[in-house]
Amino acid sequence: MKTMDRILRSIKNIPAFPATAQKVAAVMGNPDYSITHVVNIIKFDASITANILRIANSAYFGVRRISSLHDAVVFLGQENIVRAIQVSGISKYFKKASGYGLNGPELWRHSVGVALMTQIISRKISGREDTKLFTAGLLHDIGKVILGEFVDDSIRRINGLVNDHGYSFIRAEEEVLGMNHAEVGGKMAQQWNFPQDIRDSITYHHRPDLMEKGENLFCWIIYLADQVCLMAGVGGGADGLAYWGLKDVIEILKIRQKDVEMGIIELLKDLESAKELIEII
Amino acid sequence: MGVADLKVSDNPHDILVTYALGSCIGVAVFDPVSKVGGLIHFMLPDSTLDPEKAREKPAMFADTGIPMLFKSCYELGAEKKRILVKVAGGASILEDSNYFRIGQKNIMALRKIFWKNNVLIAAENMGKNCNRTVRLHVGTGEVCVRIPGEEMIKL
Repeated sequence: MKTMDRILRSIKNIPAFPATAQKVAAVMGNPDYSITHVVNIIKFDASITANILRIANSAYFGVRRISSLHDAVVFLGQENIVRAIQVSGISKYFKKASGYGLNGPELWRHSVGVALMTQIISRKISGREDTKLFTAGLLHDIGKVILGEFVDDSIRRINGLVNDHGYSFIRAEEEVLGMNHAEVGGKMAQQWNFPQDIRDSITYHHRPDLMEKGENLFCWIIYLADQVCLMAGVGGGADGLAYWGLKDVIEILKIRQKDVEMGIIELLKDLESAKELIEII
Repeated sequence: MGVADLKVSDNPHDILVTYALGSCIGVAVFDPVSKVGGLIHFMLPDSTLDPEKAREKPAMFADTGIPMLFKSCYELGAEKKRILVKVAGGASILEDSNYFRIGQKNIMALRKIFWKNNVLIAAENMGKNCNRTVRLHVGTGEVCVRIPGEEMIKL
């Protein structure tokens, strides 16, 4: 079987996204939702409940000593409860993953790093956080969960194209495997019924310049957050920093070199306070 | 060792390691006579960006961290004229901009500091776009650089 067909088959066979997470997001979308209703959905899912209690006590969310699901839902608030559920749901797929010279926990650490960085950038440019961006950050490299083993099997050929022929890592993936990890991730998110903007920001996270013109700020933020994490060495693997720098990002996000450097300092602090999110797997 | 971290040791059984440098730089120093070794993983070139942070975590910046690395080694008996310096890291995103230059800025800051202080770099593996892990064996002073998917490099 051709490599690409094997990749496509692996995407088809990926386990469904946890139904609890989807249901909660739908219920909380309604402004009149009741906390009891949310608790009733979550409480039947023992693993998500346990994870939420761990995550809820993270310094990153600024609350302390939460010991019941009801308290977690009350004190965390809608946005953070959705984040906690996404962390719990998405981290599962990284548990047994490996690839790019990294193990699952290291790949996951990068995903959390990018999610935290999207919030730093979002606070900087719009003065507020954005839960959807946080989710997209957690998911941006989900394609590596499937592509990892294929990349490791062909790492010498891929590295050869990068080192000797000036390919970016995603172009080398396409050339050797027929698909890159961003495309694979976009297809996985489609299978899980994530909304279009999240899917696009995964598919184009290394090349937001190739997206059709329109409302694509979202994707540029994921792009910059990822680049910053690669520079800071947060979960960096065999792909290193072999991705194109796109100077348009300065204009589009109105962000300066100094903001990026300050952002890195803030990221280190957030990574420390969010260690429960990283250690969840 | 983590990011923005610094360690020194005179225990010959110690191995100091720092992972996935990205654009950050790892500086390994070793005095072969006193057998004192040290390693720093700094992240940014210039502490004027955030002086308060620099006081709290001097190892975050080249200009506050590198002098502290040397001083910490002197405290264990190392002498400047005998210290061997090996450096790795400072990778960059592929070029298309004059913007994402944290790797290059780190390399420039490092060279300037050593130049000003008359310190020679004995060996280096810097730049390009790969991630590096650095190990310093305190017993022997051996410094190894590991790039994922490639053979181990002895500096």
